[in-house]
Amino acid sequence: MREFSLSPFSGNLRNLRIRMNRAADQPEPNPLREGLATRPVPQPCSIVIFGATGDLAHRKLVPALYNVAADGDLPPAVAILGFARRKKSDEEFRRDLEEATRKFSRQAVRDEIWKTFAQSIFYHQSEFGDESGYKRLAKRLDEIDKDHGTRGNRLFYFAAAPDQFEPILKHLKAAGLNETCKGSWVRVIVEKPFGTDLASARELNRIVHNSFTEEQTYRIDHFLGKETAQNILVLRFANAIFSPLWNTHYIDHVQITAAETLGVGTRAGYYEHAGALRDMVQNHLLQLLCLTAMEPPTDLGADSIRDEKVKVVRSLRRWPRNEIAVNVVRGQYTKGAIHGDPVAGYRQEENVNPDSQTETFVALRLFIDNWRWADVPIYMRVGKRLPKSATEISIHFKKAPAVLFNKDLHDLNVLVIRIQPDEGIALRIHAKVPGTSFHIEPVKMDFHYGTSFGKASPEAYERLLLDAMSGDATLFARRDEVEQAWAFIDPIEEAWHAKKDVPELFFHPAGSWGPEAADDLLARDGRAWRRL
Amino acid sequence: MAPIAETYSLGLPVEIGSIDHELKKLWRESEGAMTRASLMNLAVYSEEPGSLKKNTQLMARITENHACRAIVIEADCNAQEDGVDAWISAHCHVSRAGSKQVCSEQISFCLNGGCTTQLPNIVLSNLDSDLPLYLWWQQEFHNPMDPQLWTWVDRVIYDSRPWQDFQAQMRLVESAQAEAKQRIVLCDLNWTRLDKARFALAQFFDHPASHHHFAKIKKVRIDYASGFRSTALLFVGWLAAQLNWRSEKTDGENKLQFVGSSGRKIDIEMRQRDGEPIHEVAVTAGDIEFLITHAKCGDLLEISRGKAGGKRVPQLMPAGKNDSVSLMSEELMRGGPHHVYLHAINCVRELL
Repeated sequence: MREFSLSPFSGNLRNLRIRMNRAADQPEPNPLREGLATRPVPQPCSIVIFGATGDLAHRKLVPALYNVAADGDLPPAVAILGFARRKKSDEEFRRDLEEATRKFSRQAVRDEIWKTFAQSIFYHQSEFGDESGYKRLAKRLDEIDKDHGTRGNRLFYFAAAPDQFEPILKHLKAAGLNETCKGSWVRVIVEKPFGTDLASARELNRIVHNSFTEEQTYRIDHFLGKETAQNILVLRFANAIFSPLWNTHYIDHVQITAAETLGVGTRAGYYEHAGALRDMVQNHLLQLLCLTAMEPPTDLGADSIRDEKVKVVRSLRRWPRNEIAVNVVRGQYTKGAIHGDPVAGYRQEENVNPDSQTETFVALRLFIDNWRWADVPIYMRVGKRLPKSATEISIHFKKAPAVLFNKDLHDLNVLVIRIQPDEGIALRIHAKVPGTSFHIEPVKMDFHYGTSFGKASPEAYERLLLDAMSGDATLFARRDEVEQAWAFIDPIEEAWHAKKDVPELFFHPAGSWGPEAADDLLARDGRAWRRL
Repeated sequence: MAPIAETYSLGLPVEIGSIDHELKKLWRESEGAMTRASLMNLAVYSEEPGSLKKNTQLMARITENHACRAIVIEADCNAQEDGVDAWISAHCHVSRAGSKQVCSEQISFCLNGGCTTQLPNIVLSNLDSDLPLYLWWQQEFHNPMDPQLWTWVDRVIYDSRPWQDFQAQMRLVESAQAEAKQRIVLCDLNWTRLDKARFALAQFFDHPASHHHFAKIKKVRIDYASGFRSTALLFVGWLAAQLNWRSEKTDGENKLQFVGSSGRKIDIEMRQRDGEPIHEVAVTAGDIEFLITHAKCGDLLEISRGKAGGKRVPQLMPAGKNDSVSLMSEELMRGGPHHVYLHAINCVRELL
């Protein structure tokens, strides 16, 4: 049989395998690494976590670092330095983190591994605005370099509140901590939100770039660290069967849903100002859209992929003010029931304004005005207190010609990419029901990660922290991606906060799939939301 | 239903001609509560009496992480009368995804008499279509090997450690591979056994600044357990292949000398001692020693580097296990060809 190349991308899959054996930081391949299934260990470094006593560090970052260590993927010389306001000794900090890691770690904590891991954890008490605290930090990092062999490599993780970013960055620069010595590196990881609108995002980028270059800046969106999000590229570009169908000629429309049963919980303070559009659509959902809609990159380099992603956002159709209400529906949950239990409405939640106009649900009808996606509507919905928690992308293919069997068929072929939970891929096709007549019904072919692969996927933060340590920015958002996303979101927010002709805020009971207006968004086009 | 609930018995006896039909019946009856999953055909062949039960137990554990159609075969090639008995069963485990049970099916065969003629047909007629065929050969290989079967094998898995005549066995495998005219990947569990130790040593040199140590390596010491000399030799072969060393001379069974590309001599000392298969590896480059040793707690490796008598910061990493289930699970996780293995073998072929 003749061997043929699956697609122009197959060469890039080879590159991917080569890249897997060579970290971005490591131009010279290690001959002993050849053939090993594991990725190279990043260079030794110190990881400084600002806001180290907060939720993110305890629930996600340190458990992720522990798991990386337990898998043997952490460099032998690594130091984790928590920077926060509260007074604590190294020992107290280690005890707190041990307790949190035992609670939140993906794998059970082993005493002997924790003992070794804990030796690399330190605590540094300082106010974020206290200049002397950063001078002491610089001194301490130098000592750690000397004692632990971390070679002057530094990764600063901003897990503090966004309003603290500016003083932290300013003082890091003043203390010279943004500078690299010969052969070492300094990087900064910034957690979302990357601003609250285009102006603030630009301002944040300006502040960051006063101290660090774009190459040193890693904007983390944990959705991109999820196995299934990464698998979108593999599904699209490693399977030749999808490539010819992935365009306006064969795709009727696309739906992206990010639903959760949880309410606002303890995040009301933040959420009241953000809302679903800023909290989810500007980052996570647009990132998923980019992976779904982007053109094949020329290679798997970070910038090649991000170049293609940003083109998608740039191609999103912008609406004049008077068309926003026609294409974007905002909603808010009222009291209702989740899993049979009564739950309060959003306005009754703790720390929420009883007259709040914040949206907890958004549905959008988008168009990507480029050659591939011309006239293919993309419907997106995101919301809290919806009937189930699920993040899924569905590609709805056009109907077969209405002759022969297809005259009475209403269902389309649908390819579903389940991001979470129960990660997997399903394809709905038509099949003849057994019998003497031609009765046709849809059937589903279903692939579940959990069923097919026994091995648990690493947590998104594990992958992303390792990538940042290795200097691989592929799964991090670039400045222009973030700014383009805000440029798309801003007109919607402005319309919602205008003085007149404000699009309506629709209410829906908790436990329902959003307001009727969201259904109308599709019904007008003769379509309906997929049943999840 | 008996065959589903029981994971260690051979299950339901079936007629050879109705295996497919009986399997379909099995799944029809348990539809809803269970999901059948399969990523590969995993055929296991052994001539050891009682191996069918032993391998059924192994498959019950291997399928926890590797959904497959298992075709487990015990053969008595010297039996007077030809005959085949077959059973079907399933190994079910609760999936990570939820409460649903995920099941791998197993077809078990007891072959009597003409093994050579029966085996290819038994395997080929019971494959799950479009899935790769992994053949776990638990015997020494026979001469000649049957090309009819080998043409369809994607990966052949064996353990070279107990082989009496490594060179003869390897010749058989390689000629079968050549005859099959397709890319059969050779998967030696003796090589898999080295995976964690290789990873532990490799990570010392991930930083380009540490590459200069390669040119300074003058001594390698490997401590191995009784019966694992060939494993230690494979490790030496790996170092030699990847670092371009050439075998120079041997001094007794356990003292070897290699020459690096610059003419530098590298002394290899292999020591048998109680402990894990590869218990400790020490690589000396200049005045730095890179040390990998099994931690006291057993399934962890302690790695460190430093000058003799100097301060060291040890790090722990997974050591891997030496039992069949762990080795198979490890091997099944890996994909792609094992070129590095073949290079390693070629460097120590004469010594194995």
